[in-house]
Formats: sequence, structure tokens, C-alpha cells
Amino acid sequence: MAPTASREGLVLQTCALSKHFGGVQAVNGVDLAVPPGDLRAIIGPNGAGKTTLFNLITGDIAHDTGHIYFAGEDVSGLPPQRLCRRGMGRTFQITSIFRRLTALENVQTAFLSYHHRHFNLLAPARRFYRDEALGLLERVGLHEQATKPSGILAHGDQRRLELAIALASAPRLLLLDEPTAGMAPRERHEIMALVARIAGDTGLTVVFTEHDMDVVFAVAQRITVLHQGTVLAEGVPAEVRANGDVQRVYLGQTH
Amino acid sequence: MGVVGAAGSLALSARSWVALVVVALAVAPLVLPSFFLQLLTEIAIIGLFATAFNLLMGFGGMVSFGHAAYFALGAYTAALLVKRAGVPLLAALAAAPLVAAAGALLFGFFIVRLSHTYFAMLSLAFAQIVFTVIFKWKALTGGDDGLLDVWPPSLLKSPAAYYYFTLIVVGLCILALHAIVDSPFGYALKAVRENPRRARYIGIDVRRHQLAAFVISGAFSGVAGSLFAFYNGSVFPDFAYFTKSFEPLVVALLGGVQSFFGPLAGAFGFKILEWLISRQWPVYWPLVLGGIVVVVIVVLPSGFVGLVGGRRWRRQPAVKA
Repeated sequence: MAPTASREGLVLQTCALSKHFGGVQAVNGVDLAVPPGDLRAIIGPNGAGKTTLFNLITGDIAHDTGHIYFAGEDVSGLPPQRLCRRGMGRTFQITSIFRRLTALENVQTAFLSYHHRHFNLLAPARRFYRDEALGLLERVGLHEQATKPSGILAHGDQRRLELAIALASAPRLLLLDEPTAGMAPRERHEIMALVARIAGDTGLTVVFTEHDMDVVFAVAQRITVLHQGTVLAEGVPAEVRANGDVQRVYLGQTH
Repeated sequence: MGVVGAAGSLALSARSWVALVVVALAVAPLVLPSFFLQLLTEIAIIGLFATAFNLLMGFGGMVSFGHAAYFALGAYTAALLVKRAGVPLLAALAAAPLVAAAGALLFGFFIVRLSHTYFAMLSLAFAQIVFTVIFKWKALTGGDDGLLDVWPPSLLKSPAAYYYFTLIVVGLCILALHAIVDSPFGYALKAVRENPRRARYIGIDVRRHQLAAFVISGAFSGVAGSLFAFYNGSVFPDFAYFTKSFEPLVVALLGGVQSFFGPLAGAFGFKILEWLISRQWPVYWPLVLGGIVVVVIVVLPSGFVGLVGGRRWRRQPAVKA
């Protein structure tokens, strides 16, 4: 599919993106267009291709066909570390942190890398970006846990920490793969409110997947519905809620 | 860096331990016969080798089964330069880590592309290649006969003089490695160890970082090899043999891979035990060593340093259950 002129204004665009695993077409011709400042939910039943789509966009796995544009540039095939440096951040469905480092060291390391200091061999690292890291930890509500090894933090706190790690790279686009997985309902709303607040303050564009429909309809500006690897519907929450196809394959099911 | 732990009777801070050890080592030649000075010299060299090895294993999460390659490259570089080219000792010692680092860069380029068992096996394979080249290239290396009469200049020939010299070189190297572990590079290395995938998503090129650590580790292993060449007065192909590669692994495991000073403590325990047991029952040393390794791994996973209240990881506060 030929990229269109409208790509200029978009933070993220995928064109006819496809990926199959053996006989399973996990992602099948997905066209996604995310404008700046969007808070986009990607929903769909288990196996709809949400995580695979994230893995394709962030360079974790190679796609079969199609293109990925980030801030107007073709980034198809770039590895995660290059995409991170261009401003694409991500969190994982299963919490991904540096467990034997303290919360503070987790975030400091992300800052060190972002500022290209990670090949400095001789200066003590604990001095670098300490205030910045503590500031970010405070932002996500982990200020008091800063010097604890991150592996012993409560599950919800580890997810907050992963958010802080991703934010340390000053992303323009943040992809959150089920940021509230395993959390109690109240905490889910808290963390998504936090994400929405940070996005609002910084102009960050957020794309997230989520199973809890209350959360999705509470915070998402637009919703893309995936079903069997293809985009079934897209629109503002009210449109998606009213869409017959969506009701049939997804919202009607118990979740 | 306060006093660590509560219950332990030997609860000194890391800094106090270092000060104590440095003072003891400095006065050792005044009280110990030269046999023990030679033993301590060897302990310092093996300790450096194991500490360099542990930069990869403990801090980078990479287990090399072929570190003898870089030890041998350092040893042969220094020995050949002094013996065949008449280069002064210090210049030969300076060249050794460069050659070892070049070898580590060449082999490491391929090795860091693999992980876990494959990483270990490829590192072993490259070390066996180094061994074979040294063994077969008789014109340069003397082959099986090795290179003999590789002695330091007369100034450093006495056991006490070479002991002090080794102590200074090893001490500087240990300080450098300690700084590296605590540097931004060290933080990123630990991040790669903990979670390579997450490390990529904070912008770290994981393979490049692993390769850099591999080269640094190889360079310091080369320093250890060059010091050993002049301590031993000769170099042999088995410096590169796989049994030599397992020495830093065993030493680091005994001392504690999770602590920066573990491999040094391990080198001390290893050589002292070897001396005590080989003296009485030389045949049974490997058997006893095997038993000790089993006991340490099962009962004392944090190694000898676990006995003296060392923290499992530096700068990680003790955690109450």
C-alpha cells in the first residue's frame, strides 16, 4: 500500500502490516494511524494479535510484509534500541524490569543510556541523573521505594517502575502492553489516570492494550478493535460501543 | 558503606576488610618465608584472573569456558617480547593486555552472538584453537616445550620484590575493575545481565555492550597471564588448555560470583586449600576440590564472602524478609 501524504502529521502509522507464525496469521494487513497526543486503546479478544502488533511496531520481531512509519519516517526493520533512541518507548505485558537493581538504579540506567553515557567506564554511576530519576519515581508514586531492590516491590509498584523506566528515555510515543495486568480494579484506574495525566502534561502519544473495558472507555480517546489479526473497527469510544460487529465478536462476550 | 549485617561476628564493612587485607599483605614479607610469598603472589594473579572473569559471569551474566585463551595470549605476548625481542619488562607487561584484548575482540565478536550454553561452548572452542596454535607453532612458541627462562630483571627477581610488584599491578587492576563495575558502563552491564530485552528498550545495544565487557575482561586476564609468566619463569601451551579455563570459574564460584571481592577471596581459599591438601595427599586434591565445590554451591551459594557478612550485591541494601 502506498503511504499517503497524511502520514506527515502522524506519530505512528502502519500500512498493511502482516505477520504469520506457521499457519497462524497473527497480524493480517493492519493499517493503523495514530496522530500526536492520541491516547489510543487497542482492544480485542485473546489472540486478536495485540501483543504481536506491539512486537512488530517496536522491532522485537520482524514483520512479513507492510511498513511501519514513526514520525513520518519508515522505521520498518529497525531494532528496539534504535527505535528507543528515536523516541519510541514500551512496557510489556509481563513486567520487564532489572530485578536485582534498585528502583533508583533501574531509572538511572535508563537515563544513562538515553544520554549516551553508558560507555563511561570510570566515573561512579550513582552520581548521574539521581535527581532526575528520583523525580520520575516521585511522578509514578515510587519515591519511597527508590532504594529497594526492584524485584521485591509489590506487583503494582513494579509496573509503575516499568513506566518510569520507559519515560526516562523521553519518548514521543509510548506503547503500553496491558499496563494494568494483574492489578486490582482501583489500582487499574489509578495507573491509567496517571498515564493520561503524564500524556496530557507532556504531549506524549500513548497506545495501550487493555482487557478491562471500564478502564478503556474511561481514558481512551480513540479505540481500535482487533479481531483475528485485522482491524474490525476504529473510532471514538461511543462509535466503537455502538458498532454492531464489535458487539457481536467482543463486547458481547464476558470478559 | 556502613557495617553490614547484624548477627555475624565478622561484620566489618567492605572498606574495613580492604584496609585490613592491604595492611596484612604489605607487612607479609617481614614475617613470612619466601615460599608463602610465592604462594601469595600466585593467589594475587589467580585472583585478578578470576575477578576479570567475574566481570563477565557475575556482572554480565555471561559464562565463559575459554578464558584461558586470554590468559595465555597475555603470558605468551609478554614472554615472547622479553625473550625473543629483548623488550623491557614493563613494555612487555603493557603489550600483553593489548594482545589479549585484540584476541577477545576477534573471538568475542562471534561469541556474544550466542547465549548461555552456546556462548560457553564457543568460547571453549576458541580457547582450544589458541591452545592448538601455541602447541603446533613450534618455531615461535616452542610448542610443547614452552618458553623457558622467562625471568624478570634482577631488581624484581627475589620473591619479596616480585611479590610487591605483583601486588601493585594487581591492586591497580582491581581498582580499575572496581571502578568499571560501579561506572555507568557497569550499571548498563548489570541491566543487560538482568534483562537483555528491557535493556534494548532503553536504547542499549546489548551485543555491543557484551562485546565491550568481553574485551575488558580479556585484557585484564591478559595482565594476569603476563604476571604469571614471570612468576613461573616459563610459559607452556597448557596455559590455554581448557583445564586452565575452569580455574577462574571454580575460584569465582568458591569465593562468590555475586560479590566483587568474591573471586579474590576464592583465589585465597583455593590456593591455601590446595597447598594444605596437596602437601598431605597430593592424589586426592581434585577429589577434595570437587567435594568443596559441591558443598559451597549447595550450602553457601554466596561463596566464601557469604561467611563474612558480605552483601550479596554491592550497593543493594540488606532486605528484611
